[in-house]
Amino acid sequence: MANSDVAALRTAGSDGDQILQVEHATHRFGDVVALDDVSITARRGEFLTLLGESGSGKTTLLRIVAGLERPTRIARIAIDGEDVSAIPASRRNCTTVFQHYALFPHMSVGQNVEYGLRVRGIDRDQRRKRAEDALTLVRLLDKYGRRVHQLSGGERQRVALARALITEPAILLLDEPLGALDEKLRVDMQVELLDLHEKLGLTFIYVTHSQEEALTMSDRIILMRRGRIVQEGPPTDLFDRPASRFVADFMGVENLLEGTIESVQNGTASVRIGGHVISGAWSGAGPAEKGAAACVAVRAERVRLAPHGVAIDEPGVNTLPCTSGATIYKGKYLDQTLDTDIGPVKARIWDRGVDVNDLEALWWRESECAITSNENGAGAGSGDDA
Amino acid sequence: MAATLTANDDVLRRLLPRLPAGVWSLSGFSVVWFGGIVIPLLAIILVSFFQGRGIRINIDPTFLQYERFFSYGGGDLLARSVRIAATITFIELMIAFPFALWLAKGCKNNMVRLLTFTALTVPFFLSPAARVIVWRSVFGINGVVNQALLGIGAVDEPVTWLIFSEFAVHFGFLGAFFPTMVWPIFLSISLIDNDFLEASNDLGANRFRTLVHVIFPLALPGVVAGIVFTFIPMLGDTVVAQHMGGNNVLMLSAQVQSLIGVSNFLVAAALAAVVLGIMLAFQVLLWAALKPVGGLNEVFANLRR
Ligand SMILES: Nc1ncnc2c1ncn2[C@@H]1O[C@H](COP(=O)(O)OP(=O)(O)OP(=O)(O)O)[C@@H](O)[C@H]1O
Ligand SMILES: [Mg+2]
Repeated sequence: MANSDVAALRTAGSDGDQILQVEHATHRFGDVVALDDVSITARRGEFLTLLGESGSGKTTLLRIVAGLERPTRIARIAIDGEDVSAIPASRRNCTTVFQHYALFPHMSVGQNVEYGLRVRGIDRDQRRKRAEDALTLVRLLDKYGRRVHQLSGGERQRVALARALITEPAILLLDEPLGALDEKLRVDMQVELLDLHEKLGLTFIYVTHSQEEALTMSDRIILMRRGRIVQEGPPTDLFDRPASRFVADFMGVENLLEGTIESVQNGTASVRIGGHVISGAWSGAGPAEKGAAACVAVRAERVRLAPHGVAIDEPGVNTLPCTSGATIYKGKYLDQTLDTDIGPVKARIWDRGVDVNDLEALWWRESECAITSNENGAGAGSGDDA
Repeated sequence: MAATLTANDDVLRRLLPRLPAGVWSLSGFSVVWFGGIVIPLLAIILVSFFQGRGIRINIDPTFLQYERFFSYGGGDLLARSVRIAATITFIELMIAFPFALWLAKGCKNNMVRLLTFTALTVPFFLSPAARVIVWRSVFGINGVVNQALLGIGAVDEPVTWLIFSEFAVHFGFLGAFFPTMVWPIFLSISLIDNDFLEASNDLGANRFRTLVHVIFPLALPGVVAGIVFTFIPMLGDTVVAQHMGGNNVLMLSAQVQSLIGVSNFLVAAALAAVVLGIMLAFQVLLWAALKPVGGLNEVFANLRR
């Protein structure tokens, strides 16, 4: 990843280098519990992503940080070490890029960008100079005099960014800033945002419901569901070591096989599924318990095929006899469903030379799958799942 | 109008070039507007330059009616009318804006809001005269206020300037024209997306600055509409001045009506023409006032976003 060395620098920082601390935040809208006892922290300069499906409370959490929403209950909220629970949004050292940008329609691009300085009483010349700097940063200098409605979606997005950055906040809050853009533009903007993050070195808290976006951009991801945190950690943690079946599913793991834990040793769990025993590293939130329900999570691209008569001579692999099922053509690769006696398993085939009608078994390395709790609800201990 | 069009459809189609439906409805509207509104107005202006001879009317153009009007204290009448209308419009704006802001963004209780709407509309079920006349029992010589003042011994005899005075006229207008100012402003403030207010707040603006830099400019269409629909009908109002001002506070439109009452059509026409002139001047003034913010079009364009 492009920002890995920056990330390394940051991890070197002490624990006291936390720019944001939210402790035990709960928020209710009437009967709806939008946020249920959530605590998060962000390190200075971190790219932190709040990931979750619609209605999981991401926006609510972001608004509480911004000061736009007063939480029902909170133990502590501090920005840069200073408790801000009594400080209104206008005086908090963070700014928001709104999902729909919220650019003022009665102002030009320049006036929009300058707004934060104008309300701070900074004089016109300096305002203009700094607005031009900010617009240069987002490559929109030539649009200074334009009206907002004369801009394209991507340009509006960048104006919103410049407007939020001009007051040099400690934290930039971004609420699905790329949600309204088309696919191609979104990828371009992702790169641009990462560049900007690296260049400015300020803390980004980024809301998205796209796991792909979260994986490519973040230093750390907080995955939320129904107002709770289900897992947090660097992208590789969520990708390779899902804490529950829900996380694995959300992170796009194609094959989730359900079974019972038969044995556990040294962090490796063996799960009985039908007549087979499958082993892999335990990644569940709590300790693995013998006899408990568990889920084997293996990605389609990790599933390999063994044609008839070809022996699998590797140690530490899981093998399932199979026959070929439906094939879906995806352009660069094929999504092949394989029927086994414990249900269908998906494999991704890049090599067109493989004859899927002449298979003996499928297999994957134990190190390439995760065994996790079969929990599909909102985190450990919650049984409120419908 | 529409019926005629359908009946003579074939004839019309042959006579007139084919035009899209939109143009038809527009031109239909123009005909009605021209025939129903513009022509009568032009007629009034025309008549105001005529001269009466017994029961006949002399067609030679003359300023006689205007001279008569001004020589009988018409200038004062004019100045008073405009002054009162402008004062009331200003006061209404000052009260209505905060009120509309509260109603649109501050009031979270739907019940309170509903009751407020009702309170704003109910008076319109009453005739204008009935609405105004109520104040007589409050401010009259034997009215509630005087009874109270006498009762507590604040005055020895009834206060007379409470009714049939400029004070009373102001009061009457204030109540009658509050809704016309509140409604458009309320609507335009309601249309302001909360995101803009939050963005302003988030970028460091306190409430006052948000009001000045965001809410007011975006509510400007409503403010303009409110001013127009308050000031102009007030100039045309005949009820309040008559019932609250009596003969002490004469105003233009009430005067037009009483002149018509005594069949003095020509001076009445001149007077009406003067009222028209003021309204026109007012529109020009408004247009000029909006010039610095991009003109009327730009102000209303912000509604569309
Ligand atoms: N103003 C509100 N009034 C009532 N309920 C609300 C309000 N705002 C949010 N909610 C509820 O709170 C929960 C969390 O909402 P939130 O907006 O934080 O979700 P989100 O994760 O941002 O979702 P999305 O990805 O769709 O934006 C949802 O169930 C939502 O219906
Ligand atoms: Mg949201």
